[in-house]
Amino acid sequence: MTIPANLKYTKDHEWVRIEGDIATFGISDHAQEALGDIVFVELPEIGREVNAGEAYAVVESVKAVSDVYAPLAGEVIEVNEELEGEPEKVNTDAYGTGWIAKIKITSDASVELMSDDEYTTFLEE
Amino acid sequence: MRFLPHTDTDRTAMLEKIGVSAMSDLFADISPEFHIEQGSLNIADALSEAGIVRKFAQAAEKNRNATNTRYFLGGGTYHHFVPAVVDYIVSRGEFLTAYTPYQPEIAQGTLQALFEFQTMIARLTGMDVSNASMYEAATATAEAALMARRITRKNRVVMAGSVNPRYRSVTSNYLSRLEGEYVEVDIGQFGTDLDSVIASIDDKTACVIVQYPDFYGSVYDLAPLRAACDAHKCLMVVAFSDISAFALIESPGAMGADIAVGSGQSLGIPMGFGGPHLGLFTCKQKYLRQMPGRVCGLTNDADGKRGFVLTLSTREQHIRREKATSNICSNQGLMCTAAATYMALMGDAGLATVARHSAAALQSLVSRLPSHISAATGPHYNETVLSFADSETRNRFLAAARDKDMFAGIPLEQIDTNAEARHLLVATTEMVEADDINDYLAILEVVK
Amino acid sequence: MSHNDTTFKYSGTVGMQHEEPLLFEHAHEAPESISLPGVDGVISAELSAFSRKQAANIPGLSEPETVRHFVRMSQWNHGIETGFYPLGSCTMKYNPRVNEQVVRLPGLAHIHPDQPEETAQGVLELMYELQGWLGDISGLPHVTLQPAAGAHGELVGLMMIRAALDARGQQHRRKVLVPDSAHGTNPASAALCGMHTVELKSGADGRIDLDELKAHLDDDTAALMMTNPNTAGAFESDIKEICQLVHDAGGLVYGDGANLNALVGIARPGDMGIDCLHINVHKTFSTPHGGGGPGGGPVVVNDLLAPYLPVPRIEKHGDRFTLAYNCDTSVGPVLGTPGQIGVYVRANAYISAFGRQHLHKIAEDAVLNANYILHRLKDRYHVPFEGLCKHECLLTDEIQNKHGVKTLDIAKRLIDLGFHPMTVYFPLIVHGAMLIEPTETESRETLDAFCDAMLEIADACEAGDTEALHEAPLKPFRRRLDETQAARKPVLVWPE
Repeated sequence: MTIPANLKYTKDHEWVRIEGDIATFGISDHAQEALGDIVFVELPEIGREVNAGEAYAVVESVKAVSDVYAPLAGEVIEVNEELEGEPEKVNTDAYGTGWIAKIKITSDASVELMSDDEYTTFLEE
Repeated sequence: MRFLPHTDTDRTAMLEKIGVSAMSDLFADISPEFHIEQGSLNIADALSEAGIVRKFAQAAEKNRNATNTRYFLGGGTYHHFVPAVVDYIVSRGEFLTAYTPYQPEIAQGTLQALFEFQTMIARLTGMDVSNASMYEAATATAEAALMARRITRKNRVVMAGSVNPRYRSVTSNYLSRLEGEYVEVDIGQFGTDLDSVIASIDDKTACVIVQYPDFYGSVYDLAPLRAACDAHKCLMVVAFSDISAFALIESPGAMGADIAVGSGQSLGIPMGFGGPHLGLFTCKQKYLRQMPGRVCGLTNDADGKRGFVLTLSTREQHIRREKATSNICSNQGLMCTAAATYMALMGDAGLATVARHSAAALQSLVSRLPSHISAATGPHYNETVLSFADSETRNRFLAAARDKDMFAGIPLEQIDTNAEARHLLVATTEMVEADDINDYLAILEVVK
Repeated sequence: MSHNDTTFKYSGTVGMQHEEPLLFEHAHEAPESISLPGVDGVISAELSAFSRKQAANIPGLSEPETVRHFVRMSQWNHGIETGFYPLGSCTMKYNPRVNEQVVRLPGLAHIHPDQPEETAQGVLELMYELQGWLGDISGLPHVTLQPAAGAHGELVGLMMIRAALDARGQQHRRKVLVPDSAHGTNPASAALCGMHTVELKSGADGRIDLDELKAHLDDDTAALMMTNPNTAGAFESDIKEICQLVHDAGGLVYGDGANLNALVGIARPGDMGIDCLHINVHKTFSTPHGGGGPGGGPVVVNDLLAPYLPVPRIEKHGDRFTLAYNCDTSVGPVLGTPGQIGVYVRANAYISAFGRQHLHKIAEDAVLNANYILHRLKDRYHVPFEGLCKHECLLTDEIQNKHGVKTLDIAKRLIDLGFHPMTVYFPLIVHGAMLIEPTETESRETLDAFCDAMLEIADACEAGDTEALHEAPLKPFRRRLDETQAARKPVLVWPE
């Protein structure tokens, strides 16, 4: 299992990459492993305003379904449309081609974010 | 008791193994105050098998039925021909006594039949995909409204007044406990006034529900409605009562339906006093994941051989619980196998014959009506409304027909409670012969 | 079918194993179709204007080919007639053949729901009689046969509860308490009824925890939905107190009757304080499951809820049976027809066969059989909740986990040993659940054979001989099917 150092993590096993006022969201390697083979990702609409902690997407495996919560508040500006045809990218490359959505950060609102070390400790607990 | 394999010796030995001395010990966790005395229930005495046959034969004897009476009854249930093969196949214990195919390796029979069913229903309705059944048409219509609300994230539902009143009342009942608006469009008499329906659509509308052919049997062009739905970004839901129509007339899919729902009872399923029937649910591919109910999908096994499984189950209640697309669990699975067998036996040609004969019988009747009876105008498939001068005349006709072993129609107000009591809803199928129509017309002449 | 598999090169049948292509792959032109009666007359010009432009492309086989196609497919199915089917919570019991015979009598099969009532008195009488029996068996005397299945019954029951609370002026009561062991239909039905659910955590014994219940009961509570015996196969011995607590808090108690087979003829939910219960006649009263349906979910209620029963109601006035559609207090219609009548004809026949004298033997033998299995397996499989069970017993894979074997492996291995697996991974309150429900119609010989097979699996695990378990099933003509592929790229119809 990998936990890249350049990302922030949430207790709900989402990751976020912040670059200026743009944030990219996805789910962690741990989350994809727990869910098993991802068969579908329900993506948010572009332009949607999401609050921190709000469910903005849904990931489904064969026998489980999980809401994905936004680590930060913002407006959805891009979604990973490739997941519509190849949801398995969330399994094979959770931090890369398996990203889910990009938002334009619109406020300081945020859920509690962890560094890679903190998240590693969190998972061990 | 013949269904119970144990002898008392077995029972005693098994109780001993379990480590209790009497059967009652197994129920010791139920407080004594709740134990009822054996044999105290107010239920009839046990019957032998011969006794059961006698009891049900006597009950059946009291019911007039389609082997001794000519049926001109429709309104959602139709007397089409049921081939012997269909009943034989669904009597096979392997189909009849199987559970939901949760273990696909030993349920490929049910699953392949479902896949064939879904494919043929999609083709007949002209839609992209079908699920593996709903209870019946009225609940399927209600589920279509709920699905449209989910897809559009709007909650206003417009219902044409020419949809079967029972589909309407169940749908409005389902929606009444949820937030949102339900609008029924009065369409005047015995047909669908699309202009009024279209005028009722606004940007808050999630879907418009029409029936085609409508409750009164009327066939009409849905193209204007399709355009109006596009303009307001709402879904077009088409309900139907007798799917046999679509072997003859243009399908809901070709007419642009987003969701098409209705009854598949005409596909080899007996009328059975209303059930079990077969609810059909079809939609465009892009809405698949919002569809209620079970679906069967194609896949491969571990050796790469083709097989089938229930799929997309994350939509369903056992996984998504309160967020499920529906609460439906048990559906009408066996009726899907019946319908698949029926369609395979019929093929395009047989289905077309059923439809042609059903429509031709109505045409033959309507074209020869005596002058004191009027029929609804415009194109009709196999159902229409006949209007009498008054209810007395109509009822006299119904009684006279019954004396000649004929159910000549359903008093319209029996289903459409707002209708005047002088109308008769009349349906024909391929089970109506030329002589039956001659008799029908002759009785009409007499009651003038 | 694997197209490059040469085993079935010619007829598709070798040594009683067979392949069968899809209807759409039977590659010949449709023969002359079945002969049909009717009027071969003209279609009006105005109707012809709507003619379908493209044929539906429904294949059409000759009668012998159709029969062979579906009979061959049927032989890929496990049914209660072909073998033991111990699916917990599903009550797979023998479906008497005489029931199939009587339901096909023309006077019951070929009758229309809107034919004159006086010409359908026989069927209405059978339905009315069944209503009375279900009311008496459950201790809840008012009955609707409208719900088409258990989940539909849940919705209808909640509609009635909601209506009764509204009539008390308590429109704010919309919270439904549901134990975490409940069937998934419970919360889904509540949502459809415009209510929301709160999950109750089960106690250490798998039963409802009274403190947990008390903590969640408040002024917003509409109902508790409970299954008794619960989905772990245990009777909720605190039932009286549970109902009392809910009633004291101003709520009502909904009973999920999926497990009524443990109580029939022994004790009555109505006497225990349940206000409203659905009965799965396709479980308790042996109407066949048909590969997923049809079912039947009559709802039985006490006096308090009686005014709200849906319409039409089957009533008796003098000597006359009627379908009554008009009632101001009713929650309204919930189905477009009078109900799953054919299913109820069979249920009536099943109860008739047992009668007043023998009805309790259903529950007795069902509970005996479940405890017998539990007793034979309890030393080799982990039993999460101690004590006697009711009509089903709950095991888990905890012991086999140590050998790398999971519930799924055990289930699939049972297929190779000739049995339908038990219900797996339900209830959700234990890890790796295996819920076994034998029903009353299984012989001791069958129960022993099943237990022997389970013990053989336990032996294999302990001996480290687990390869066959992970590979299972090997015997059926299809191995484990790829559910991920099916869900990722759904193919629900055969392309033209």
